[in-house]
Amino acid sequence: MLDYTLLLIIGGTCAIGFYMAWSIGANDVANAMATAVGARAITFKQAALIAGVLIFFGAVLVGPHVAETIKGKVIDNTVISDPFILMLGFISSLLAAAIWSTLATWKEMPISTTHSIIGALVGFGIVAGGLSSINWGCVASVAASWVLSPVVGCILAFIVFRIIVRLIFAQEKPVRATRIVGPLIIGVTAFVLSTSLLFKTQLGDMLGIAELSSTLISSIVISIVVIFLAIFLLRNIEARSVDDYTTVEFIFRKLQIITSCYVAFSIGSNDVANAIGPVAAIVPLASTSSLGPVAEIPIYLLVIGGFGMALGCLTLGYRVMKTMGSRITKLTNTRGFSVDFGGATTVLLASKLGLPISTSHTAVGAIIGVGLARGLDAVDLKVIKKIIISWLLTLPVAAFTSAIIFIGLIALIK
Amino acid sequence: MIDEKIHFRAPVSKTYRKKSPFDQLLEHMGKVRECINLLGDGLIRYYKGDYKGFSELTEKVSSIEHDADIIKGNLRNHIPSSLFMPVDKGKFLWVLREQDAILDHAENLVQMLDMRHTKIPKQLQKIFIAHAQLVMKTVTAMEEAVESIRDLVETSFIQRERDQTKEFIHKVHDFEWQADQKKYDMTKEIYKLEKKLNPMDVYHLLKIADWVDDIADHAENVADWLRSMIAK
Repeated sequence: MLDYTLLLIIGGTCAIGFYMAWSIGANDVANAMATAVGARAITFKQAALIAGVLIFFGAVLVGPHVAETIKGKVIDNTVISDPFILMLGFISSLLAAAIWSTLATWKEMPISTTHSIIGALVGFGIVAGGLSSINWGCVASVAASWVLSPVVGCILAFIVFRIIVRLIFAQEKPVRATRIVGPLIIGVTAFVLSTSLLFKTQLGDMLGIAELSSTLISSIVISIVVIFLAIFLLRNIEARSVDDYTTVEFIFRKLQIITSCYVAFSIGSNDVANAIGPVAAIVPLASTSSLGPVAEIPIYLLVIGGFGMALGCLTLGYRVMKTMGSRITKLTNTRGFSVDFGGATTVLLASKLGLPISTSHTAVGAIIGVGLARGLDAVDLKVIKKIIISWLLTLPVAAFTSAIIFIGLIALIK
Repeated sequence: MIDEKIHFRAPVSKTYRKKSPFDQLLEHMGKVRECINLLGDGLIRYYKGDYKGFSELTEKVSSIEHDADIIKGNLRNHIPSSLFMPVDKGKFLWVLREQDAILDHAENLVQMLDMRHTKIPKQLQKIFIAHAQLVMKTVTAMEEAVESIRDLVETSFIQRERDQTKEFIHKVHDFEWQADQKKYDMTKEIYKLEKKLNPMDVYHLLKIADWVDDIADHAENVADWLRSMIAK
C-alpha cells in the first residue's frame, strides 16, 4: 500500500518534471539557437539535432550544481517542516511553473523558466508558512542575478566583438589575421568548455580530474590541441583581396558551429535544474520523509530532465527554429559568433557559481552588446520592454498559480 | 502575409530585422544609378538635337522615381524609435532624403526637357555636354561613397574603411566644384548669345543649366550627410 503510493508520487512528479523540461526545451532553446540559425552557420535541422544531443549531455554531465540553490534555499525548511506539506508544495510549484512557461511560450513572452520556478516556490511558501518561511535574502540574490544575466551577456559579447574588430578587421590583412586569431579564440572556447565539463562534475569525477589544478592542466592541454588543429585546418585559406571580409566571415561560419554546440551545452547544464530541482526534493521527502540541505541529485533525474529538454527542442523547438531560419536574414557570422560566445560563457559561469539565470535573457543581452559595439545594422530594442514586463509578471503569476494549486491539492487530499 | 499566420515563438529573433536599413539605402541608391545612367545618355543626345525616344526616357525615369519612392517610404516608415542603429538615425534619414532628391530633380528635369524641345546652339553644345558629364561623374562618385557603407558596417567602422569612404566623398566634392565652375562658364556663354537667341530659348537654356547642376548639388549633400554620419 505504502509502496504503491510512493511509486505514484515519484512517477507523477517525474512526469511533471519531464513536462517542465519539455517546455524549457521548447522555449529557451529556440531563443538561444536563434543566432546560429540566423547567421546561417547551421540549418534549423542541424540546430535541433545539435541542441537535442548536447542539451542532454550538458544536463547529465554538468547539471547538478544549480539544483541545490533552487530547491534548498528559497524555502526555509525549518519553518515548514512537515514533509507532506513540503512535498505537495514542490509538486504544485513545479506544475505552476511548467504551466506558466508553456503559456508564455505560446504568447511569445521572453520569460525565464528560472524566474517562474522561483516565483512558484515563493507562492507556495507564503501560503504554507507565511512570509517568514521564505528565505528573502536568497530570493534577492537570485533576483540580482536575473538583472545581471543580460548585463554580463551584453558586456562579454561587446568585448568579444570589439576584439574581433580590433584584431581582425582593423588589421592590414584581415584574412591572415583570422588565421591566427580564429584558432586562439576557439582555444579559449575549448578551455572554458572543458573546464566547465570537468571541474566538480560527474565526468570529472569519473576521470579523476575534478580538482581545480588537474582540471586546469587538462583544459590547457585540450585547448592547445584544439588551437593546433584549428591552425592546421585554416592554413590554406588565402584572401582574394585586401578587404576580403567574406572570407573572414566564412572562417567564422566554421567557428560558429563550435560555439553553437557550446550554447546548447550550456543551456543543458543550466536549465535542467529548473525542471528537476523540485523533483529531486520530492523524491527523498516521499521516500524518507526528510529533506537534507544538500541532498544528492540522482543521475536518473538528470537523464529525465535532459531527455525532456531534448524532446522539447526536437518537437516544438524544431518548428520554431524552422520559422526562425526564414525570418532572420541580417546577421553575419562574426556577429553570431560574438553573441553565442558571450551568451554561452555567461550561462556556464553562472551555472558553475550556482546562480540560476535565464538563457533567453542572456541571449538578448549578448545581441544588444554586439549592437552597442556598432556591430549590427539594426537592433530592435522593443524586446527589452518585453523582458521587463516578463520580469514583473512572471514572479506574481507563477506565485499565484502555485498557491492556488497548492490550496487545491490540500483541499483535495484532506 | 504568411509569416504573420504562423504563430511565432522565439521573441529573441525579433531583435534582428529581416531587412537591414543599409541594404535598403543601397537598394534606393541602385535606383539612382539606374536613373542617372539613363539620364546621362539621354541628356547628351538631347543636347546634340536628337529627340528621338526622349518621351520614352521620360516615362522610364518617372517609373524609376516611383519605384525609389516606394523603397524610401518603406525604409523611412519602418524605423521605429526602439530601433538601435550603429549610426545616427537622423543623419541616416538625411542621406536617404538627399538621395531621393536627386531622383526628384532628374524627373522634373526630363519632364521639363520633354515639354519643350529647346535647341542647344552649336557653339554651346560642347560646354553643355562637358557640364552634364561632370554632373554624372559627381553622382557616380557619390554612388561609390554610398556603396562603401557596406564595408564600413561589416567592419564596424574601422579606420581603413572610413578613410576609403572619405576619399570617395572628397571625389564628390571635387567633381561638384568642377561642375559648378563649368556651369558658371556655361551661363556666361548663354548671356553672350542673348541678343541672337529668342528670350524663351535663353530662359530655357538657363533653366536647363540650373536644373542639371541641382543634381550635382544634391549628390554633394548626400556625401556631406554621409560624412557627418560616419564622423567619430
